[in-house]
Amino acid sequence: MNSNNNLPVKLKGVGDSLWVTVDPSQPVDRLQDALIQTFERLKHLAINARVIIDPGVSENCDQLVNELGVFLKDRFQVGQVSRPPEKKNSVSKERIRHQDLGNAWHHYRSEALMIAGRVRSGQKIAAKKHLIIMGDLNPGAEVVAGGDILVMGTLSGKAQAGQPDNEGAIIMALQFRPTQVQIGGIVAAGFSAEATGTPEFAYIENQAIVVDDYLKKNPFRQLTWPEVR
Amino acid sequence: MEGKVIVMTSGKGGVGKTTVTASLGAALALQGKRVAIVDMDIGLRNMDVVMGLENRIVFNVVDVIQGRCKLKQAAIKDRRIDNLFLIPASQSDEKDVIKPENMVWLTKKLRREYDFTLLDCPAGIEHGFKNSIAAADEAVVICTPDVSAVRDADRVIGLLYARSITPKLVVNRIIPKMVENGDMLSHEDIVDVLSIDLVGLVEMDEQVVVSSNTGTPLVSNKESKAGMAFQRIAMRLNGQPDLPIDNPMMAKGFWKKIGKKLGRKNKDAK
Repeated sequence: MNSNNNLPVKLKGVGDSLWVTVDPSQPVDRLQDALIQTFERLKHLAINARVIIDPGVSENCDQLVNELGVFLKDRFQVGQVSRPPEKKNSVSKERIRHQDLGNAWHHYRSEALMIAGRVRSGQKIAAKKHLIIMGDLNPGAEVVAGGDILVMGTLSGKAQAGQPDNEGAIIMALQFRPTQVQIGGIVAAGFSAEATGTPEFAYIENQAIVVDDYLKKNPFRQLTWPEVR
Repeated sequence: MEGKVIVMTSGKGGVGKTTVTASLGAALALQGKRVAIVDMDIGLRNMDVVMGLENRIVFNVVDVIQGRCKLKQAAIKDRRIDNLFLIPASQSDEKDVIKPENMVWLTKKLRREYDFTLLDCPAGIEHGFKNSIAAADEAVVICTPDVSAVRDADRVIGLLYARSITPKLVVNRIIPKMVENGDMLSHEDIVDVLSIDLVGLVEMDEQVVVSSNTGTPLVSNKESKAGMAFQRIAMRLNGQPDLPIDNPMMAKGFWKKIGKKLGRKNKDAK
């Protein structure tokens, strides 16, 4: 199977056709060799089959596709050979943006878990994706999330974001003084117990957890467009 | 009218549950209520010693539950205070001889007999704790200004809320001088973390040791600051919830202010 992966030709069934993806950067005879290898396995299934040859890019491949088409018809008696249909939905990026802005993610269903109240020692909350706590997280309490953790209050317990392996997650709190934080697989502890009075957040930089002033650093300022996180 | 069953708990051991329970029981009894204190620490009883009643124990709470005696036979009347009774724990039984449903049955009887039943809960959140909270109407959480005590109290509060019991907080053993120097958590910090109603602040008091070793009630000692604090907590539990809480930190400030007014120079005053 492994040798198959290295071939410049890939075959899959799409509807009633065989979709052949070829690598146009390879020389024609190498492609033909690869086609022989692939189609010989099909045996009689190749006869009269409809084949779509997809070179990936659209420019300057007409000749290559024709040549391979003729070759396949001669050698394996395939039926029709064609190029992939043009994509219909080539809407401009600008228009998508306008639609986004207009609909404001009407149909987007949130995966964030939002909780109000105080999480006490011994209590544990786990969220599949993002977790928002409107309240405090006491020492001894534990929260785990697959995405970000936002604490609209004091974070003094243990917070694990981006579990198991999302190292792009952040942990933010209006008062950031956790006993321990973990993002992805990286753990950090020993934060100062002094309250700074400003919202802070933890993120990963160079495989280490860094804590920064959220308002000053403003980590999502660079995003050109509001996007779903 | 049916009486109230109040569980006195803390999670952590050694924060003064037994002392607070004995003192509050005595204070409530002195205010004219019929009070029963039930020692729930099966196997490690010591409420009888603190109340000075250890040589009068004939029956205990396990005997009542297993039907070997009547409730009245097990309730020991205090020597000094008329309306105060102790139902002692068993020293020899295993802790799992009592089940939560037994406690529901027992407290039903106690509510009929007494205005207040105080359950002295053992440390921890296992068997004894579960038995104690199974039948309680209210809870008082006792906490000292230690990080570990606050952590455990927090856990216990969570468990009490899970049982739909809204706990009240007593902060015990405050040393105002250490709080002032920043070496001890202030009660504001504790209330901030635990966020439940505060019913009293009790200052560290050497009289407590004397009284629990000799088995004399602390609240009858007018000299004891802790004793006075317990009296006020008892009043708050006994229908005066709005009685202002005396802040041990304020007392000093108050005298400082008076001192300043009288023209006394105080170098430490900021």
